[in-house]
Parts: sequence; C-alpha cells; structure tokens
Amino acid sequence: MKRFLPLLLVLGLGCLWVAPAAAITPEAKQKVVTAASKNLIEIGISYSGDQVHFFGVNPVPGSDLIIRLTAEKDEEIKFSVKGKVGPFWMTVKQYEVTGAPFTYKIHSSKPIKDIISEATAQELELGYPAIRHKMKMHLSSGSAAPDDADKVFKGMLKIKTEANLYNIVEDPARLQVAEGKLFKHYFRFPPAATEGRYQVESFCFSKGELVGYGKDIIEIKKVGLENWLTQTSQNQPVFFGILAVVIAVAAGLLVGVIFGKGGHH
Amino acid sequence: MEIYLPIAGMSINFFVILGIGGMVGFLSGLFGVGGGFLLTPLMMMIGIPPAVAAASDSNQIVAAASSGAFAHWRLGNVDFKMGLIILAGGITGGTIGVQFVKILRAAGNFEFVMKVVYVLMLGLVGGAMFMESLRTILRSRTPGAAAAAAEVSEPKLARLFAKMPLKMNFHRSGLQTSAIFPFAIGTIVGIMAALLGVGGGFIMVPAMIYIIGMPTIAAIGTDLFQIVLTSANVTLQQAMVNKTVDLLLALILLFGSTIGAQFGAIAGKRLKGEQIRILLAIIVLALTVKLFLDLVLTPSDLVSLAPAKGGGH
Repeated sequence: MKRFLPLLLVLGLGCLWVAPAAAITPEAKQKVVTAASKNLIEIGISYSGDQVHFFGVNPVPGSDLIIRLTAEKDEEIKFSVKGKVGPFWMTVKQYEVTGAPFTYKIHSSKPIKDIISEATAQELELGYPAIRHKMKMHLSSGSAAPDDADKVFKGMLKIKTEANLYNIVEDPARLQVAEGKLFKHYFRFPPAATEGRYQVESFCFSKGELVGYGKDIIEIKKVGLENWLTQTSQNQPVFFGILAVVIAVAAGLLVGVIFGKGGHH
Repeated sequence: MEIYLPIAGMSINFFVILGIGGMVGFLSGLFGVGGGFLLTPLMMMIGIPPAVAAASDSNQIVAAASSGAFAHWRLGNVDFKMGLIILAGGITGGTIGVQFVKILRAAGNFEFVMKVVYVLMLGLVGGAMFMESLRTILRSRTPGAAAAAAEVSEPKLARLFAKMPLKMNFHRSGLQTSAIFPFAIGTIVGIMAALLGVGGGFIMVPAMIYIIGMPTIAAIGTDLFQIVLTSANVTLQQAMVNKTVDLLLALILLFGSTIGAQFGAIAGKRLKGEQIRILLAIIVLALTVKLFLDLVLTPSDLVSLAPAKGGGH
C-alpha cells in the first residue's frame, strides 16, 4: 500500500490541477436572448412589490431551462437559536452566516435533479443544497451542537420563504416553453426586496451539459418621498432626528388646539 | 390600502397602523401613559423590525404625549416644578440605562431580560393597582365608609418622604415634600425606559400617586409633560445612533394616536380616578400574562433573525 502513496498523491494533485480547466464558464456558452418587461422597479409610497415578465429564446431547441433570480450582493446575517433554560425559552447561541444570497428564486422546466448532476448544480449554485454548501456559519456566542448547521439552514429557509425572498418552482406550467424554443415566465419581487441590483440568469442544459446562458439586470430604486426619507435619515441623521421631533410636537399641538377649541362649544 | 415604510423596508396596510395608533392614543389620553409598552409589542406583532418599532414608537410618543400634555396643561393639571425635578432624574437614569442595554446586548440575551423585567414590573404594578382600586370601589359602595376612605388613602410612604430634607412646596399638587424622591423615581424610571424601550408612564403614574402622594389627575398631566421631553431625547438619539426612526410609520401612528388621545382625555373626565386605575390595571395584567407565556411556551420558530448591528435592516 505504502508504495502506491506517492502515486495517489500525484494523481490527487493532478486532479486539482485539472479542476479549474474543467470549470464551467456560463459566459462562454451560447447566448440566451432574453427581454424583461421592465428593468427598473421604483419604490413609491404605495409600493407593495412588483412583477416582472421575462421572455427568451432557447438557443438549443428542446433543452432544459433553469432560471435563477439573485441579488448581486450576498448578505451577512445573524441568527439567534433559542433553547430551554429551566422553564424559560431564551437565546442560547448565535450564528453569523455569510455567503447566503439575500434573495434566491428558481424556475425550472422540470426538477433540477433531473436536469443536472449534483456536481454541476453545486458549481453553478443551482438549488438549495448548493446554497447550503456555499454559505458559511460562524458561532458567535454559545456552544455548538452537531445538528446546528441543519437547524440554522432550515430556519433561514423558513424565514426567507415566508418573506417570499426564496422560492424554487420546478414546474413546466410556471416556466412555459413554446415548441421547445420560446420561453416566458415572471418573477415576483416582494416588498421585502430592498434597493439594489438583481440578476435574472437563464441557464440552458442539454443532457446535463450547459449549452446556453443569458442574464438580465433588474434594479430596484426608491423614488420621491421614500427616497428622500431614506437618504436624509442615512446622510443627515441629526437633521432627520430634529425634524422627526419637531413634526411630532407640531402635529400633537395642532390636534390639541383643534380639539381644545372644539371642546368649548 | 398598502403603504411602503422606507426605513422598516416593508409594505403594510395603512389602516392597520392607523387603527393601532388610534387605540393606543386613546389609552394614552385616558391614563397618561405614553403607550410605548403596548405599541412596541403590537408593532412587532405585525412584522415591523424591533429596532424600528421601538425608535418610531418613541417618535410617535412625542406627539401623543404633547397632545395630551397640552390638553392637561389647559385643564391646569401639570405640576411643572415636580415635572422638571423628575425630568432631571429621567435624563440621568436614561444615560445609565443605555449602558445597561449595551452590556446586555453584548451578552446576547437583551430580549429575554427585557421580557423578564417587563413581567416582573407590570405584574407588580398591575397587581397593586388592581387591588387598591378594587378596595376603593368596594369601600365607596359601603355607606358611611366613604369618608373614612379619604383618610386612609393618603399613602404612608408619602408621609415618610415629606419628612426628608430638601423640602419643597408643590402648589399644583397641594404637597410639601422632599425633592429627593421625585428625582430618584425619575432616575429609576429613566433606567427602566431605556431597558424596556417605553416612556415609563405605567411606572411613573402609580409612583406619583401612591408614593409621592400626588392627586391622580396632576400625576397624569405632569407625567405627560416629562414624557414629551424624554421621548424627544430618545427619538433624536435613535435617529443619530441607530438610524431606525421611520418617520412615515411614526407619522401614521401619530395621526391615529393624537386623535385617539383627545377622545381619551375626554373619556378620562367622565370616569372616576379609581375606575381609570382599575381599567389600566386590567390592561397591564393582560399584557403581563401574554409576555409570561412568551417566555415559557415553546416558540414556533427556534431560529430567528438577530438584530443587525446598529441598524433596522
């Protein structure tokens, strides 16, 4: 056995060397031509989320489609895990999570596992297992337990799904493909989706191999009063604080005066 | 009608916020409490991030209390001398309290400690108020005992504090008592206010009535006066340090609450002191039970988003 060891080592290193060369570069594939019903979502006073329709042409007719919506930037979030201490439920540990996307939605023409291999899914970050693989958890307080990673990941999925920020739909009805070529679908941007740039990527697979790729950028931006309030609170906090107090006192006194006079009839 | 809250970063029904604001404003005008102890949990229940809920509530408390304070000032119910002494204590206590909060947050269980303190304080205050008001009401129904009740109702503690140094005359309250206790209670309430994220009226009003010995109506008016200034300070600090004041949320809340407060003040004039107190006691006790259940029942989600460092989102 011992004399095979150097050989195994060489083979192992060889694999490492070859790996980058075999990496999938979506941009190098045939372009999936797509169009979005809009590329800018404006958050106004009565904003309650928005819906954007996408249309595209499948470059390899009959190939399988997976379309992914993500925010351009990843998030750094912290989760509290509760446990029982005596009769009380309290936070017993906290985990800092990095590498998890802020939003993550997928539409596919059939189940992801039927389209691509686990390795391809992981490399292209398609599907929840790939997210789980990519994100990093760091215990910031308390003591770790073996099932923590599982618990935190499930908890995160639940929170994100309830906010409609995460969602995977593996249903041909949701991603319509006409004659294997022309496809259309829509993504719902929930109100919880904050300002920033979002990308919608279309992946085409033929027999498990990536054959086409396209990307759309959707930007969400606050406008008008919403934008002014956000900008002022972030950039001129002292002015904003004074303004908030002055408006509150003025409104309180105004109503007081109105009702005070009314009371003397 | 949906409305998007810029700092909370969420869309919510306009009338839900207006209704909650109006209801809490009514109670505020009626009892002289800022309403923060009801509003913060209610905002969190409808999904507003806790940091934004607390900061925006402080902002609306400024409005609700200034409206109520103005109404009581017109009725001659504010003891300014007493109010300023309590306020001096409140600012001292608030500064100390913020440091406590910082230490507890670093330890990771601020919310838990907050709820335990809430349960203890509200349980104690609510229980004592309920018993006392019930006794007064029952006594007043027994013929001949009403006159005796007036004698007994002067608190023993009030007599003790009246003998302490730094004696002052408080004309509005019809009291001659030491300035030490109002300052001390202001400090304690200041600490509690920072710890619990509330105006502190639910502690202050009973303390002024039962311990300092002020008339109920003067206690309510004076408390509202000091709450305006304390909450204004908290709002400004939250806007500067945490950037969690959602002005739009606060504006809708205060629109509802300022109107609600006026009706509360009118209703307050029609009710007797002990009736107001027993109502407040029931609300406080109900909230105590709710918070206690939160602590002992298995939470539906064991994993939750922890507050982001120094921000609402």
